[in-house]
Amino acid sequence: MFYPIAGKMIPWFAIPATILFAAGMFVGFFIAPADYQQGEAYRIIFIHVPAAWMGMLLYVLMAFYAGIGWAFNARLSSMMASALAITGAMFTLISLVTGAFWGKPTWGTWWVWDARMTSTLILMFLYIGFISLQASIDDPRRADRAGAVLALVGVINIPIIYFSVQWWNTLHQGATIRLLQKPTIRGSMLAALLIMLAACWLYSVAVVLTRLRCIILEREQNASRFAEVGV
Amino acid sequence: MNWPDLSMGGYGFYIWGSYLFSLIAIVWELVSLSQRRRALTQHKEQSDSVPASVLRGSANETTS
Repeated sequence: MFYPIAGKMIPWFAIPATILFAAGMFVGFFIAPADYQQGEAYRIIFIHVPAAWMGMLLYVLMAFYAGIGWAFNARLSSMMASALAITGAMFTLISLVTGAFWGKPTWGTWWVWDARMTSTLILMFLYIGFISLQASIDDPRRADRAGAVLALVGVINIPIIYFSVQWWNTLHQGATIRLLQKPTIRGSMLAALLIMLAACWLYSVAVVLTRLRCIILEREQNASRFAEVGV
Repeated sequence: MNWPDLSMGGYGFYIWGSYLFSLIAIVWELVSLSQRRRALTQHKEQSDSVPASVLRGSANETTS
C-alpha cells in the first residue's frame, strides 16, 4: 500500500526541489548583496546553514522513527530510520566541509575544536555508527533494534549542537535566525537561505522515499528467497 | 541584479570549493541510490527467471 503511493509522491518533491535549488542559488548569488564585514565569503552560508539544519533535523527524525519501530515493532518505521541515515550523514558532511571552507578565510583556520564544530563532528560519527551497526548485523529486525538504541542515545547531542553557541564561548558565531525573534540579516539573504532550506527539505523527502522503497524491496526479496529455499 | 565576479573578491576558491563539494556529495548520493535501485531490479529479474527448485538445490549444496 505504502510502496506505490511513495513512488507516486517522489516526483512531487524532486521537481520542486530542483527548481528551488536553482532559485535559491539565483537569489543568493545575484540578488543578495555582499556582506559588509565578510564580503563575498558569507555566500557559503546558503549551503552551509541549510545543510547543518538538515543534518540535525534528519537525525531527530531518524531517532524518532527508530524509536517508534523499536517500541511498537513497526517495521516500516525502522526502515524509514535506515532510509534517513545516509541523507542525514551527507548533509552533516556538507555542513562540516563547507564550514571549514568558510572558517579558513574568516577565522584563518580550517578547523578548531570549538563546541559547535566538535558536537557536529560527533553527529557525523553517530550517523556513521548507526549505518555501520545496521550493516554489520544480518538479521534486519535485530539491526533495527540495535540502531534504535544508538539513535536514541545520540539524540542528546542535538540540543548540545543547537545551544552550544549559547552555553559555551565558541569561535562559531551565534544564531542569526531564531524561531521567536526577528532575524538579524537582510531580507534577500534570509530569502536565499529559506529557499535553499526548502529545497534541501524537498530533496531529502524525495531521496529518502526512494531509498525507503529500495529497503522495502530488498527486505521482501530476502524474505521471499529464504521462504522459497525453505531456510 | 548584479552579475557576480567569479573571483568573488578573492574568496572564489572557498565559495566555489564549498558548492563543488556539496554538488559532488549530492550527485554521489543520487548515483549510488540509482545503482541500488538498478541492482534490485536486476536481482528481481534474475530470481524470477531461476526456478525455486534450482534455488533449493543450491541451498542444499551450501548447507550440506
